Amino acid sequence: MLSKIARTSRIFCGVALIVLGASQNFPAFPFPSQSATDLDGKAADPFKASQGKITVLIFVRTDCPISNRYAPLLRQLSETYGGNAKFWLIYPDKKTTAQEIREHLAQYNYKISALRDSERVLVKRANATITPEAAVFDPQGRLLYHGRIDNWYEDAGRARPAATTHELQSAVEAAISGKPVPLASANAVGCYISDLE
Amino acid sequence: MIGSYTRFAFFCGALSVAALCASERLRTHAAPNRSSVEVRGITFNRDIAPVVIRTCAPCHHPGEAGPFSLLTYGDVKSHARQIADVTQKRIMPPWLPEPGEWKFTDDLHLTPEEIALFQKWVEAGMPEGVPAILPPVPHFNPGWHLGEPDLILHADSSFEVPASGSDVYWNFIFRLPLEKTRWVKAIEIRPGERRLVHHANLIVDRSQSSRRQEKSPGSGFPGMELEIESEAFDPDGHFLFWKPGTIPEPEPQGMALRLDPGNDLVLNAHLQPSGKAEKIRPAIGIYFTAEAATKFPLLLQLENDRKLDIPAGDENFLVTDEFILPQDVSLLAIYPHAHYLCRDMLAQAKFPGGETKTLLHISRWDLNWQAVFRYVAPVNLPAGTMVSMRYRYDNSAANPANPNTPPKRVLAGNRASDEMAHLWLQVLPQSPAGETQDPRRVLQEAIARHHVENNPSDFEAHYNLAAMLQARGELAQSITHYQRALALRPGDATVENSLGSAFFAAGELPQAIAHFSIAVQARDSYFDPHYNLGLALATSGQFPQAIEQFRAAVKLRPQDADAEANLGGALAANGETQEAIVHLRRALELNPQLALARENLETLLRDTSKP
Repeated sequence: MLSKIARTSRIFCGVALIVLGASQNFPAFPFPSQSATDLDGKAADPFKASQGKITVLIFVRTDCPISNRYAPLLRQLSETYGGNAKFWLIYPDKKTTAQEIREHLAQYNYKISALRDSERVLVKRANATITPEAAVFDPQGRLLYHGRIDNWYEDAGRARPAATTHELQSAVEAAISGKPVPLASANAVGCYISDLE
Repeated sequence: MIGSYTRFAFFCGALSVAALCASERLRTHAAPNRSSVEVRGITFNRDIAPVVIRTCAPCHHPGEAGPFSLLTYGDVKSHARQIADVTQKRIMPPWLPEPGEWKFTDDLHLTPEEIALFQKWVEAGMPEGVPAILPPVPHFNPGWHLGEPDLILHADSSFEVPASGSDVYWNFIFRLPLEKTRWVKAIEIRPGERRLVHHANLIVDRSQSSRRQEKSPGSGFPGMELEIESEAFDPDGHFLFWKPGTIPEPEPQGMALRLDPGNDLVLNAHLQPSGKAEKIRPAIGIYFTAEAATKFPLLLQLENDRKLDIPAGDENFLVTDEFILPQDVSLLAIYPHAHYLCRDMLAQAKFPGGETKTLLHISRWDLNWQAVFRYVAPVNLPAGTMVSMRYRYDNSAANPANPNTPPKRVLAGNRASDEMAHLWLQVLPQSPAGETQDPRRVLQEAIARHHVENNPSDFEAHYNLAAMLQARGELAQSITHYQRALALRPGDATVENSLGSAFFAAGELPQAIAHFSIAVQARDSYFDPHYNLGLALATSGQFPQAIEQFRAAVKLRPQDADAEANLGGALAANGETQEAIVHLRRALELNPQLALARENLETLLRDTSKP
């Protein structure tokens, strides 16, 4: 049945995978489609699902300590701006299973929807290279900002006591109020997405 | 009839710990020797694995501090560009000293050739190579590194590190359940969740002075720097330091650490929030030895905190100190300490012949990776050698570790936002031929004098100099320095008690009684002044008042044989024979060696048996 799904249309995949998702015994299914998937393996398009809001993608990795230290701030930002901006956590590592992602979300108390991006569709669309890296899109899905969340980390292993610039927050606020974002990009510090298979 | 020595404390400037001090632009190193790496194709198995296993894997394996494992080809490949990046920037492996004249143990410094290997390997597409030549992955012991400890202690309570916020400093007190003096050859620190603990210092508290900082017994207490009192001349001689990847080393032959009943060990831990709230509960494992110490190292501190007044925006603020060694020493280890603003640290030795050599140079101080650096072979520093420190601070906005935005004037202090300028040297003093005095005393007195001269308002320096002078019988000078310490901390119970004991030794009983009384009033739970006041009162014939003080002392320390013996003595002198016998017997139970108590008891028993 699995090999059949791989050859069938996307819609049918979705239906079949709902069944798959309901069954807890299957291992993570290598989804071949050119789209991100949710944790049940269904194709997912965050831009459609954001429904007229600003879309904010945060690229993370379960074993990236810098990503993890941002969890409380990301939770806070998604709550503060949730009315106007839909936040998504994007996991680009193929090898990280849906179950591992669920555990990661629970451990770090994330209340943000998570997607897998094994095919790097969203990575490419956001020009993301690092975890953690943020990308802010307008309601029409146009990329406004991508890069660091703030300047907490000067370099890997070298953190400031606290961030002094807040690029993601500034970009989200500008996008919500329809103003131009102050910066189009700023280098992020963390783990390279290109190191992942 | 009364045992006649007083008790007084020494202050040990407790080894300090600290926060974060960050990066300077990376120094460019000499161009790597490319020919050596280009002649053959670089592979993981042959070229990369040996470096990774030696310098990365000790922390990057399951259960250790590294956030991901670096043991296999797959592990390393999935972080390859990152590794190439952080090695080139010398962020990893974390190793602060520049290569120099003397080698340190566990040196993690990568050569320019090794750094180039990572670059080339990534450029070549990260080939794995022939499996046959892959070096074996070392076995990392998940349990106690030195085998099952003789004594394992867990912290009384765990501490919850919050999910976010700045770094946290927490102190755990381990109350040692010792019934007699033991010698320690090694202590292994297991800090708990290692990803949260940046480093930790274990400090011996011989007078339970840290307990006063706990809100309730066993709760632990916050704080980056500690001040510990020591009951007798017994300077700290050992660095008990933990950082990620540490494998405990037994102390060198003859240098066992003494622990007595009633001693505490205080673990001062630098913790970093991980993104989720997590509890840590450290444990320590102690390995005893039957061999008492025969060599006594000493921690010598250079410092110049008084000069720390760093204007906002100053990017090149220098602090120096220098000290001429009064005797030959062997330098075993070195531990530099400053907080966020420090950038560059230089420790040097100018030999009597005039030659200057560098003991330690750190060009990019980063408090996150502070450590004790131990020399592979001891460095001999003859008498007359001038050891010096020169620290550079950057209080500009360009220093990313600056705790203040915008920068503010920064002074010396114990908080993370204050600064420090300390350099600790672990030295083994050599006794000159024919000298019988403990060689540490000469050195301690010289360094205390140096600190007093450096900083006439240094409480600890006056206090320690006074204590040293008192121990040497220089009572008049000792009293002067105690009085100067007291002027800096009026009413301080510890100083009042010590000043009282100096007056007592000088035979000035009314003065002694006055100062002991102030000490008792200042801190009623403090054993020493009760005991000492009892002694002074008994010596001046005021037995009922003396009995009252000895009773208070016995109540505070029911296991103290001297207090029981003196209570018995005072009761006997006051004619309360039956009760005196009870307490003298109790004293001899606690310590059968107390000759005076035995003599007193025998006299009493003989007298009472007479008709």
